[in-house]
Amino acid sequence: MENKKPDTTINVGDYLVVQRQGYTKLHKLKNHGNLILGSFTVEMDNIIGEKYFDTFQMKNMPGSRRFYILEKVDEVNTATGSLNIEQSGADNRNIPNNAESQGLTKEDIDKLKGEELSSNNIVEQLINNSKTFSMKTEYSQEKYIKKKEKKYFEYIQIRRPSIRLLSQMFYRQDPTKTMGIRIDDLSQILTYANIHPEGNHLLYDSGTSGLMPAAIMNAIGSNTTGSLIHMHPGNECQKNAFVAMQFPQEQSDRCVNVNLYSVLRCFYQSKETFSFKNDSLEKPSDIATKTSETEGSESENRVMETSAVSEDTAEPSAKKPRIEENSQKRQWQLDNEKACRILKNKVDCLIITAKEHPVNIVKELLQFLSGGRSFVVFSLLKEPLQDLYFYLKSRVDIIYIRLSTNFMRNYQVLPDRTHPEVNMNTGGYILTGFKLAY
Amino acid sequence: MSFDGYKNVIKEGDTVILYLTITQVYCIKAEPKTVNKKGNFIENVFQTPYGALKCADLIGKHYGSKITLSKGWGYVLQPTPELWTITLPHRTQIIYTPDISMIILQLELCPGSIVIESGTGSGSLSHALIRAVKPHGHLYTFDFHEIRAETARDEFEDHGLTSYVTVNNKDVCESGFGDDLNNKADAVFLDLPHPWLVIPHTIKSIKDTGGRLCSFSPCIEQVQKSCLMLLKLGFQEIQTVEVLQTQYAVQQRSLPLLNLEFLKNEKDGSECEKKERETFKTITSIPPASLPGHTGYLTFATLPPIWARNLQISLNQNDINNVE
Ligand SMILES: C[S@@+](CC[C@H](N)C(=O)[O-])C[C@H]1O[C@@H](n2cnc3c(N)ncnc32)[C@H](O)[C@@H]1O
Repeated sequence: MENKKPDTTINVGDYLVVQRQGYTKLHKLKNHGNLILGSFTVEMDNIIGEKYFDTFQMKNMPGSRRFYILEKVDEVNTATGSLNIEQSGADNRNIPNNAESQGLTKEDIDKLKGEELSSNNIVEQLINNSKTFSMKTEYSQEKYIKKKEKKYFEYIQIRRPSIRLLSQMFYRQDPTKTMGIRIDDLSQILTYANIHPEGNHLLYDSGTSGLMPAAIMNAIGSNTTGSLIHMHPGNECQKNAFVAMQFPQEQSDRCVNVNLYSVLRCFYQSKETFSFKNDSLEKPSDIATKTSETEGSESENRVMETSAVSEDTAEPSAKKPRIEENSQKRQWQLDNEKACRILKNKVDCLIITAKEHPVNIVKELLQFLSGGRSFVVFSLLKEPLQDLYFYLKSRVDIIYIRLSTNFMRNYQVLPDRTHPEVNMNTGGYILTGFKLAY
Repeated sequence: MSFDGYKNVIKEGDTVILYLTITQVYCIKAEPKTVNKKGNFIENVFQTPYGALKCADLIGKHYGSKITLSKGWGYVLQPTPELWTITLPHRTQIIYTPDISMIILQLELCPGSIVIESGTGSGSLSHALIRAVKPHGHLYTFDFHEIRAETARDEFEDHGLTSYVTVNNKDVCESGFGDDLNNKADAVFLDLPHPWLVIPHTIKSIKDTGGRLCSFSPCIEQVQKSCLMLLKLGFQEIQTVEVLQTQYAVQQRSLPLLNLEFLKNEKDGSECEKKERETFKTITSIPPASLPGHTGYLTFATLPPIWARNLQISLNQNDINNVE
């Protein structure tokens, strides 16, 4: 698990972003693993040992209709590039409104797909069997081809996950996966929070598929000293994006995941147990002794969600020093104590991305923020942040409170065909402020 | 020296942000003396709408503390790249935080990244780039305007950032970023009038394992030329986007409620009674009466690693053929 970044080879165990035209999917590569891509089931073994950014063609597995294997390619034949279109209309005056224009049935197309997945071939057949294609204008012919090509596109590219790719992927799949945090929202949460590779950062995140802690740890960086306390409301925290980033061990160890209620209870009710140490960061030797006690059934116990992470925590158990059975603490307790020691010394940055009403959370967590530092609160709704605004105004130690939202627009840029993209969406709201020192 | 990391106490020579109100934010230097127009040393006094501030008094104060002015008060904050962007002395047009944020995320910068920027301009973006890549990354920034390059260099030194940034005084359209940077950069950012002339030079500077590029242009024609160049050179994921931020004023508003019920009945005298005026109270967020409707188009692209470039070039060629 040491720093994988410079490695350009695709290895078993890697998290990959599989790109097919505009579509992306996150995948953990296993030996003999399959990937479901739309209506295709793809056997992934042939990419093992190849390189990131390589392109692979989905080929029909001999003797099977639904299964595909991958073959590395050095060139790509796309329909739009190689089709020779002889005739097009000057405008669309002759195109009937609702005529049954496609001669091929769904069964015909499935058969084509089953014989050989070739977008080139399928698109050509679709065109030959279309009663209206030659009447279409050049522009709509191109649009038609692009649309069909996308559907039957047989090439995929393998990418290493990045915060950008993950953020765009989750949002495209379903904005609720990241609580509605769009890429521009995320980018601004990170800058206004003023994240440094040093210092302690505090996040409360009620569920962004791990995107928030991943993005913050990414900004804190590897081989730096900064740390993150990630508070979450559930039994276990969402970790998809975090594990996908495959941070080196030393980096992911600097993210402490704790349950919000449990860590605050520890902070208020067990001061003596955590405060015997006053250094804000753990020594590496401490981390090694914290072993995998993840099976506990306490409601507030933190259970690692993915196997990759539990491997990490399980690993040092062989070297685990023998401690008295009843004095041995569970992992989540140790994490709580570690977090509390950091909180006692205060943090340099506070980020709250909450589904819940933010006022009580901010009220509670602001005490841990050092004076002179900034905080950021995200909400999909404006009204809770308006309430927060008035709450913060009523305190005397908060200044520079700003509430903002973004308008983001993508463009299609092509000669003579440049225009904003047809579809647009709306982001959420961001409140920022600074805490005074007293 | 106040930009590198989190600081608590103001030291002599620090750049300090003075916050008075949301629209009155300034940067000042915590220095007892300053040079006046005639070149003489005089006491460093900053005039605010709420009275004069002796800058020497700031030394030793905590960042985040309240300071008294003769006719009011203000607060001192440690500069962040965001605060610097809104208070810095303009030597050129600058890029603002909404665009800067998108640039940093989209360029996939993190501590350790090597990033190239041109032009340096007023250094608004540079400060945020440096924060994103330090401590073991580096920013190489280029401006062909000698004084601007020099001023930026002095400023970085003054802000304690010298070890993270190299300022070059060079025309990057002509000769690119220099052989020293061959195969070094993870990302390149362009904010100059002819980005499509510089894009070919970026190929040499970006690592063989690939990297990201961003170009900021106010005009769509520039974007079109840049995108075509990116396509020709085998960049992928070419994407153009615009981000505009709206800042709200959160307010409580009271609206008078009109009672029209009494009109339905004949006068009985009661309508003359002095009734308490009914109002409806609501909390609302009001955008400014006028706000920037355009800053610039951000075009992003990925240069694939060398082993994937030829394939991408042929793919892009299809797209180019299509439109020609
Ligand atoms: C708009 S400013 C950049 C502002 C900067 N992004 C900021 O946020 O402060 C553009 C700068 O590019 C420089 N410039 C223009 N063409 C250039 C070239 N060919 N080589 C180097 N610098 C150039 C100009 O001198 C100017 O300072």
